[in-house]
Amino acid sequence: MNLRILLSSLQPVGGSVLTNGVVVAIVILLHIQIATYITGSSTLAIVSEAISMARKDERHGRLAYMMVKSQVQIFAFGSATAILFVLFLLTGLWAIFWTALQQITFWVMVFEAAFFLVEIVLLYSIYANWERLGNHRRARLGMMVLLNITLWWQMFLIDVVASFMLTPNAGDVSILNQILNPTALPLTIHRTIGNLAWAGAVIAVIGAFNYLRLTRHSRVPTPDAPAGLRPLRSIGAMAVGHLETEAKRAEILHWEWVAQWGVIWAVALSLLQPWVGYSYAKEIQLHAYGAWYTLMFGSLSNVFLIQIFLLGMIFILGSLFFWRRMVRSGAPGAGRQLALMVALILLTLLAIQPAWFAGSYADAVAAGGNHPWWQGGLLNPIGNFIPFKVAALIGMVIFGLWSVTSYATALSRGHIVPGGSSRGAQRTALILGVTVSLMMMVMGVLREHSRQPYTINGEITLHQQITNNAPSSSSVDQGQP
Amino acid sequence: MIVSRWLTRPFKARMRGSAAWFEDRTGATELLHKGLYEAVPKKGGWAYALGSATLALILLQLFSGIFLLLDYVPSVTDAFTSLDYLRTSDGFGAWVRGLHLWGSYTLIFVIGLHMVRTFLSASYKRPRELNWVTGALLFFLVLGLAITGAMLPWDQAAYWTTVVVTNIPHYLPFIGDGIRTLWRGGEFVGPITLTRTFAIHIWVLPFLMFSLIGAHLYLLRRHGEFGAWVNYSTDPNEDEEKQIGERIRRAEPPYPTKRIARRYSAPRETVPFFPDQLIKDVVMSAVLIAVIFVMGLISGAPLDEPSNPATLSYVPTPEWFFLPLDQFLVVAPTNPLIAIGVFGVLGIGAALMIFLPFIDRSPERRPLRRPEVIIPALFMAFTVIVFAILGISRLYNL
Repeated sequence: MNLRILLSSLQPVGGSVLTNGVVVAIVILLHIQIATYITGSSTLAIVSEAISMARKDERHGRLAYMMVKSQVQIFAFGSATAILFVLFLLTGLWAIFWTALQQITFWVMVFEAAFFLVEIVLLYSIYANWERLGNHRRARLGMMVLLNITLWWQMFLIDVVASFMLTPNAGDVSILNQILNPTALPLTIHRTIGNLAWAGAVIAVIGAFNYLRLTRHSRVPTPDAPAGLRPLRSIGAMAVGHLETEAKRAEILHWEWVAQWGVIWAVALSLLQPWVGYSYAKEIQLHAYGAWYTLMFGSLSNVFLIQIFLLGMIFILGSLFFWRRMVRSGAPGAGRQLALMVALILLTLLAIQPAWFAGSYADAVAAGGNHPWWQGGLLNPIGNFIPFKVAALIGMVIFGLWSVTSYATALSRGHIVPGGSSRGAQRTALILGVTVSLMMMVMGVLREHSRQPYTINGEITLHQQITNNAPSSSSVDQGQP
Repeated sequence: MIVSRWLTRPFKARMRGSAAWFEDRTGATELLHKGLYEAVPKKGGWAYALGSATLALILLQLFSGIFLLLDYVPSVTDAFTSLDYLRTSDGFGAWVRGLHLWGSYTLIFVIGLHMVRTFLSASYKRPRELNWVTGALLFFLVLGLAITGAMLPWDQAAYWTTVVVTNIPHYLPFIGDGIRTLWRGGEFVGPITLTRTFAIHIWVLPFLMFSLIGAHLYLLRRHGEFGAWVNYSTDPNEDEEKQIGERIRRAEPPYPTKRIARRYSAPRETVPFFPDQLIKDVVMSAVLIAVIFVMGLISGAPLDEPSNPATLSYVPTPEWFFLPLDQFLVVAPTNPLIAIGVFGVLGIGAALMIFLPFIDRSPERRPLRRPEVIIPALFMAFTVIVFAILGISRLYNL
């Protein structure tokens, strides 16, 4: 075929907005889970390595190496998903939108891509020379810090692009306005914390999984059951007579400690998310009211409740993990930890109340039910964000903080017995990791769908039509109650 | 007769005699000796110099403030004009204003660092609880002086800062409106607001501040500088009780500190305040003051347009140290949330800070052994920093 004829017949790759969106969502959610783990675990590896150096603690050194190794193992796959995402999915399925975005954020994208090169050099150098650099640990730590800075900047630059799509600063495309668009810094802070929490959750999962794997076949005899039928409940019990080897015991102790280390990071960092996320939402309200309305009152409001539920679950599961460890160790304050967990459950139940018993506020109004449920309507004032949900979130943060602090205090006083964990506690850590992962996915769906029907808010539609009709910023137009 | 006899004596004898006369009546040498020859912990001397630097900066604020008073007129018609005169027609006026402004910025930063140091080293624990309480109150007074000082130029920035700040008490239940009316001298900001704010800035707050400084210094001398846990370590290869006993026996005043665990009653090694610690104090204070002088000269202090209560377009922006609080108000925009946020959350936070020594009563001193206070403090510190960053982002996008 003649090239000219071929070129003149070129058309966007087929597929509906829905299918194209689903394909992008699957790839990007996968990419985000990998990229955020690498970024977050890079910071945690530095912390672990620094503690190892300061205290001459081998456990922390081993954990730092494990994190670096895991980064190497998934870096190529994470990059491949990014390349698949950019080269094939966006360029093929969303060509007009992507070309426009590339042109607007050209330099941001160039620097973002360039950081890949620096990361490859640093990460593989650190990993390949880990043993050799063992005699120069400060130099190795310095390289890890450099890698972390690079990863953070890369995240910041991609956040600039992502946030610009939501709040394009009234169409001003100067570099400074892109970088300081209203949601760029809130999103970066939100993600920085989220990365650390996610990395902590992954580490908790790795630790818990290995613990469960190593204690899988352990059995303890009971008076009324044949020997070897009842699952072992703790390493302490195993030490009675069924410890296979000292080496295995050391391994089990290590993974138990790793799981605990990860859970503390995951829960403690997530404690910052309610108000950091609230601040982020506030900027969306001020600068992209339509998107905010969709999140809080519109079609995504119920999905947002799932997000709050998952956040509450992180605190509850964390408290459950702490409580199980404290009870097993006979630590003082276990009762208080249980009370905190109950309080967190109640506060989560309050926070996830829908504000209306309908699809959205608009549905409630359309059904003529814009009055309270006790008057036969569809509104539920108890589920109002202000002040009830805010009070519930403040309560969740306070009690969550108390829960973490209480456990950390018991740990620092030596009240948590190493090897005293139950398999149930480790399963809790596994569920916690899955919860954090789900939360990240739901957050991605929320953010990317909130600005619909736009890909760049007010500038390009989902059907890749360029428009100058910026979304209304008037709350009256949006029917704010 | 006395004078002629004094004049006829040799010079050296005259000086010695005068000094003895002065000493008999005042005890100044003894006082100076007591002030200079105290023992302080050997390790961490530069960190302890933050306290002296805070005092030096407060004195700098006092003196630069006195110079500003020579020209400043606290009236709504003349306040701006008097400062504009300083800027345009007085040889050193702009510099002195710059000194006062940059001195206040540096003071807030340094007193904050001093508090962080004290907190991390757990120096606030028994019997030094009141040292911490007076220090925390001094911190809030410095913030009070900074905000009332920002209202005095009566330019646009000052006027609208006054409108916003004097309105905050209004959100306090029951007594809020009364406090706002008392401060403003009526329903609205006006001439009385400026004179009252001026009085608060130059009389009320400094009086409280210097009273507390006196108490703070007295308590410091009474109990001695705690230092940090690094000054109280023992050799694990030797008998701990024996080492501590030996340390207490050869301790120099003001050690051994009373009403404290024996382990922490006397540091392992001490140095005399003069010259070892004093030289560090002087160097740190001198460097900071030099930086302030340079910044005062280069950057000076801004003066906006004259105040215009009728304007609708002016957007007031807070000073950097109030950015976190300002951002807090942005995320808590409605009445019940402002009341909860400002007077509930911040009030509880301030109370926890002031009464910290009565809350954290464990004997532990190392930060990692005190997660019950370190974790919430990290949470608060992170919150303040992030709110400041978000505040900057918001101001850019106004």
